[in-house]
Amino acid sequence: MRVLLAEDDLNISIIAKISLEKLGGYDVTVVSDGESALNEALSQKYDLILLDEMMPKMNGIKVCQEYKARVTSEPKPVIFLSAKSQDSDIREFIDNGTGFIPKPFDPRKLPQQIADLLKASVG
Amino acid sequence: MTSIRGRLFFLLSLFAGTTLTLSWVTYSSFKSFMDMRRQLELSYQMRDEVQDVAALKPSTDLFRRMQSYRSRLQPQRRQDEFSNLIQSINEANPGPLRERHKVFLKNEAEFQRYTRDQLNYLEKKLLYYGSLAIFIMILGFFGLQLFISRSVIRPIHDLSRKMVDFLHDRYTYQFSVPTTDEVGQMQSTFNSLAQRVISNMEQLKTLDQAKSEFLSIASHELRTPLTSIKGSLSLMRSGVVGTMNEMADNLLTIAENETDRLIRLINDILDLAKIEARKLPLHQDWHSFTDLVKTSLESLQGLAGQAGVHLQSDPLPAMEAYMDSDRVQQVLTNLLSNAIKFSPKGQTVHVHCEVNDSNELVVTVRDHGRGIAPEDQEAIFQKFRQATNSRNPLVKGTGLGLAIAKALVDQHGGEIGVRSVPGEGSSFYFTLPEWRYNQARAALPKLEKAA
Repeated sequence: MRVLLAEDDLNISIIAKISLEKLGGYDVTVVSDGESALNEALSQKYDLILLDEMMPKMNGIKVCQEYKARVTSEPKPVIFLSAKSQDSDIREFIDNGTGFIPKPFDPRKLPQQIADLLKASVG
Repeated sequence: MTSIRGRLFFLLSLFAGTTLTLSWVTYSSFKSFMDMRRQLELSYQMRDEVQDVAALKPSTDLFRRMQSYRSRLQPQRRQDEFSNLIQSINEANPGPLRERHKVFLKNEAEFQRYTRDQLNYLEKKLLYYGSLAIFIMILGFFGLQLFISRSVIRPIHDLSRKMVDFLHDRYTYQFSVPTTDEVGQMQSTFNSLAQRVISNMEQLKTLDQAKSEFLSIASHELRTPLTSIKGSLSLMRSGVVGTMNEMADNLLTIAENETDRLIRLINDILDLAKIEARKLPLHQDWHSFTDLVKTSLESLQGLAGQAGVHLQSDPLPAMEAYMDSDRVQQVLTNLLSNAIKFSPKGQTVHVHCEVNDSNELVVTVRDHGRGIAPEDQEAIFQKFRQATNSRNPLVKGTGLGLAIAKALVDQHGGEIGVRSVPGEGSSFYFTLPEWRYNQARAALPKLEKAA
């Protein structure tokens, strides 16, 4: 399964990449800003898109909205990663994407959290 | 004239001067009026006495009476004439006496006519000056009243109204200073005071803003690296880097524990700072308090098991409290975890709810630990203060838990405290002022009254 990870903090992206590859068996590509995230996502080479909310150039919500508006084929599931934890923020994430994982995440549990969210969206 | 005092003095002097002058004029007119009237009466009397020239024969008696008249006559000219008449009587020469007598009567008649005219004139003058004096006194009275009202009472009233305005938070109010007198000085002093208050408020606002900025920067900048450290340690622990020997494992445990402690400490400090800066609004609503106690106990079963301590709660009636349930749970969890940490193995930590005299809900967490010395009982609610000589290895708090709990309970309008007998254990309690039994399940047992 190919995953696009958009995360501007280098350390966090390394941790998430190791977690997803070693523990989850995903194939991870990392980008570090909103614009590259949108361009990569539009190529439709990935099965899942993980977006950090706070990114340079374009925030996660905006990337997701643009992606869904411009993609020609069926959009892939989008999961947000964010430290924002207010009810209104979480609602916005759920309204726009497939799910939301609060930051800081535990890299030992991250693959399982993603699998759960994907299962829930299918079911 | 720039001062009220000066103007008042000037006005009063003017008033007094005018009144005194008028009084003097009136008095002297009255005095001459009376003098003239006496002379006129004297003149009539005298004329009656000497009317008949045939009766004017020299005699001791007549001369005595005439001398008494003469001494009272004014002016000198009339005295002299009267003296001449007396002399003629004394000489007893009928021809010249008749002549003198005639002249004397003529002169006296003229004097009487003149004096009557003068008296008429003086009467009018008296009336005029008297009225003028009364008029000026009335005018002065109203003038003074108007002056005091306009330059003292009204501005003071105005100022006091503005002060009340200012007191009621209209801090941007600007006061115009129309005069330079005493009241004007008061207004300008008040202006300066207001200015200072406003600038202090602005300064406070700036400081508050700086504090908020610091909080948000600190919380982001401190948490980001810690998140990476914790994530890395967590991945190493997960085994993705291969198996580790015992020493590496021990070191990893130390690093993980201390990272967790640092994260807790930072979270606590930021929490407390936010609460103290009133940047942590409560999301208060009616929530089940019964469920809150249940959840808190469940979440601490793990810790209690580790410590070999039993957790126990009285059966609670269904009730709700008006609270931010996350925050109240934080308080209860803090008290419970403290109780667990300080309890010896095999003991019980007990949660108990009751109602006090003010109809507040009192939640008590009782342990059978070592207890807290009276001198420590207040200190433990302060920042970074723990009871002395805590050597329990499980006790690895940040020293902020109770300070946060106190701030949160305060924010809910409640009270937090401890009762403890050293050697017998401690009872930590907090109160919630707004609570009620759950309407739907009202048949359940009620809480007991606090002793």
